[in-house]
Amino acid sequence: MADTEKKKEKDRLLEHSYDGIQEYDNPMPRWWVLTFWATIIFAGLYTLNFAGIGTGSGRIAAYEKEMAAFRAAHPSPAGLTSPEKLLALTKDGHEVSEGKKVFVKNCVPCHGPDGGGVIGPNLTDNAWIHGGKIQEINATITNGVLAKGMPQWGKILKPEEIDEVTTFVWSIYGTTPAKPKAPEGVVVAR
Amino acid sequence: MTGSAAGSLSASGPRVVMDEFSYDDVIVRKFLVATFVWGLIGMLVGVVIALQLANPAFNLGLPYGTFGRLRPLHTNAVIFAFAGNAFFCGCYYSSQRLLKARMFSDGLSKIHFWGWQLIIVAAAITLPLGFTQAKEYAELEWPIDIAITVIWVVFAINFIGTMVKRRERHLYVAIWFYVASIITVAILHIFNNLSIPAGPFKSYSIYAGVQDAFMQWWYGHNAVAFFLTTPFLGLMYYFMPKAAEGPVYSYRLSILHFWSLIFLYIWAGPHHLHYTALPEWASTVGMLFSVMLWAPSWGGMINGLLTLRGSWHKVVDDPILKFFVVGITAYGMSTFEGPMLSIKSVNALAHYTDWIIAHVHMGTLGWNGFITFGMIYWLLPRLFQTQLHSKRLAELHFWIATFGIILYVVAIYSAGITQGLMWRAFDETGRLSYPDFVETVARLMPMYWMRVVGGLLYFTGMLLFGWNILMTWRKRPAVYDVPVIRAPALARRYEEPHEAAAPTGVFARFTSMRFHRDWERMPLVFTVLVFVAIAIASLFEIIPTFLIKSNVPTIASVKPYTPLELYGRDIYIREGCFNCHSQMIRPLRYETERYGEYSKPGESVYDHPFLWGSRRIGPDLAREGGKYPNLWHVRHFANPREITAKSIMPSYPGFAANNIDWPVIQKRVQVMAMLGVPYGNAITQAESMAKTQAAEVADDIAKSGGPAGLQDKEIVAIVAYIQRLGRDIKGDTAAKAPVVAASGLPITTGGHK
Repeated sequence: MADTEKKKEKDRLLEHSYDGIQEYDNPMPRWWVLTFWATIIFAGLYTLNFAGIGTGSGRIAAYEKEMAAFRAAHPSPAGLTSPEKLLALTKDGHEVSEGKKVFVKNCVPCHGPDGGGVIGPNLTDNAWIHGGKIQEINATITNGVLAKGMPQWGKILKPEEIDEVTTFVWSIYGTTPAKPKAPEGVVVAR
Repeated sequence: MTGSAAGSLSASGPRVVMDEFSYDDVIVRKFLVATFVWGLIGMLVGVVIALQLANPAFNLGLPYGTFGRLRPLHTNAVIFAFAGNAFFCGCYYSSQRLLKARMFSDGLSKIHFWGWQLIIVAAAITLPLGFTQAKEYAELEWPIDIAITVIWVVFAINFIGTMVKRRERHLYVAIWFYVASIITVAILHIFNNLSIPAGPFKSYSIYAGVQDAFMQWWYGHNAVAFFLTTPFLGLMYYFMPKAAEGPVYSYRLSILHFWSLIFLYIWAGPHHLHYTALPEWASTVGMLFSVMLWAPSWGGMINGLLTLRGSWHKVVDDPILKFFVVGITAYGMSTFEGPMLSIKSVNALAHYTDWIIAHVHMGTLGWNGFITFGMIYWLLPRLFQTQLHSKRLAELHFWIATFGIILYVVAIYSAGITQGLMWRAFDETGRLSYPDFVETVARLMPMYWMRVVGGLLYFTGMLLFGWNILMTWRKRPAVYDVPVIRAPALARRYEEPHEAAAPTGVFARFTSMRFHRDWERMPLVFTVLVFVAIAIASLFEIIPTFLIKSNVPTIASVKPYTPLELYGRDIYIREGCFNCHSQMIRPLRYETERYGEYSKPGESVYDHPFLWGSRRIGPDLAREGGKYPNLWHVRHFANPREITAKSIMPSYPGFAANNIDWPVIQKRVQVMAMLGVPYGNAITQAESMAKTQAAEVADDIAKSGGPAGLQDKEIVAIVAYIQRLGRDIKGDTAAKAPVVAASGLPITTGGHK
């Protein structure tokens, strides 16, 4: 033992030794014993919160409650923007350039950088699978086409972003993509 | 049973027969070298996979070098090869001295050593080849599992045999911890790995879904407990007082924390499965026992650190004590953090993120690494019978490694909390702030690079360590001195000497723990008591998990995977996709908004093994089926960055090139049927059914503008599997998102063409 520190009264060595290792008969630190008891008491009390035994409702009920509260605070969207307003927005250069940003960020993997179509259809021609009127395009983006892998962007993008990207899609009509995909769907006159 | 040449010396009285024997340090030296070599390799692989997360180019474009295959190699190498050999090294050295006996059998010692190294070599070959059971830290396939069992039993016989022929009446606390580790690891290993072989290196777990998840984390958590904690506590109890040259702080504390630790640890596994489809009672039990585990864990830390009372000045110029102090402190930090992470609300944030990775590395780099380094620096001069080559180099190793740990954990804690918060962030309109998963990955890149630097520093420390070992070894004597030890054999009868200061009274005798002295004299009884403690706790959780039917309500629409999907699932397993993708959506709004309806217990009843995963380096895939067209997946597998520029997923060009091994499908379906999966016609016609489906998938890919002629390639199987995920319950219980309709327009969603 160190000579520097005064040996405390309580440090009583036990007589045994193993390969020269000795042990003190010190009591367990009080704060340690109290911590142990505290965790045991916590475990007992928490059990009272457990659904089935105590008053708690359980994770599924808590989730349902959270969802209900969210739905109450965020009623379903009122509806799509009117075709007149969308058409008006297509004349707004800022709106279209914002829409391009949304397109580049989200749509390029499937529709190509210039809308020529890759996995998804060509957006620059006059053939449309799910309708080519401006509000139909807006609705297709909002609701997606889950069966064909088009995500439901209404859950991801804000309504104004969807309107922006709609005007961008509207704006690329008739452009010539680098690698255009063959027309799909029904020809819609504009 | 060598080495106990009995001499009849009469040193201390006419009737005392002194045995003459020596300790087997040859085996200890072997384990020491193995510890270093495997540690170096395991940590190098760690650095490589850290680089792969920072930049996917480090996947090297080889199927054998992808993150999904190398990550298990890293974990297995550092746990079972580095920490395992370190434990054996210290255990063989200390046990012989604590029991005053040479190991029971030199032959068994050698079988143990070479057997274990062969197992590691087998792991290092099979894991990169993609042979895996898909269970974390239990990836090795069935032939290797059998070898592990045999070698572990050899170790157990050797150890228990040594206890039986010991010359020290009582078992010291280090030995208790060794016993607990040996017994429990055997049980965990055997029961978690039960599986039916479907080929030389292919098997299916006998458990499915919820039960498999439960068994896996009963195992996984206790592998941490009984492979990385109790063995190293045992080592600490020997090497710490040796290095500090002082007595252990409290004998009573060691008794109480030993028994409470091993008893409580076993229950805690389900805290790895909070908010999953595991029954909530199990998750709650896991949490509460983890919280109660805090004090028992700290009991070890207290006994370790307080052993240094009065010797703190020695720490200043002793690298060994520095390693021990920081190692034990890291143990204290991670065993406080563990109970904290087990609290459900904390876990909701941390689960699936790097927070868990940071937590683990605090424990492994700090506790296991530093105890090992300290121990080996202490052993080097004694085993090689010369001076340590350089104390200054050891000091440098300590500081570099400490700095490396700090960099590593700071980076990865930040990464974990950042990503956890991003996943749950909603904007003011109630939409996810970061709906694009890859945004939450791209944000972590600076921290991933910082982790690489931290890891490299730690690895540099290993190189210094290796140099010191090599140079010390070179200074060894031509012939090692093998001291002859003399000790009397144990007499048949024994009476505990009267202890003057022993407390009197029943209560005082109990609280002073004197009763435990009796147990310490009876190694076999002690071993049985340990077994009872861990078995009771295990059965209390395992039996209800398997027997209570309401734990897993069945869902009628959930059907087995088709033969092709099953084959695709095996590719998913082979590539280790589960290392980065979970398949378990938690009932939390930010999860269901992102991924869809939360996962139900009944959905994974045919999942042998379960693939819920534990980390989301990529997004959850539980409801991936139908989200994207087949062609999307074909292109995405070929090069994920073509679809998602910032993706860090490895490319899998091989899928479109490799042929499906058609003949194995029938056998695999039959094994699944043997496990109770209702396969019907597929039991006899699996191959033709698979071919039909493969042709359909290939057709669709070609029609949508993708490459033609894929019907024999692996890509159609893996795409078929991915497209199946989470679809069985769609339509009946899956919540449908509100569809926005415009007046006068048909609702276009969900309709075909």
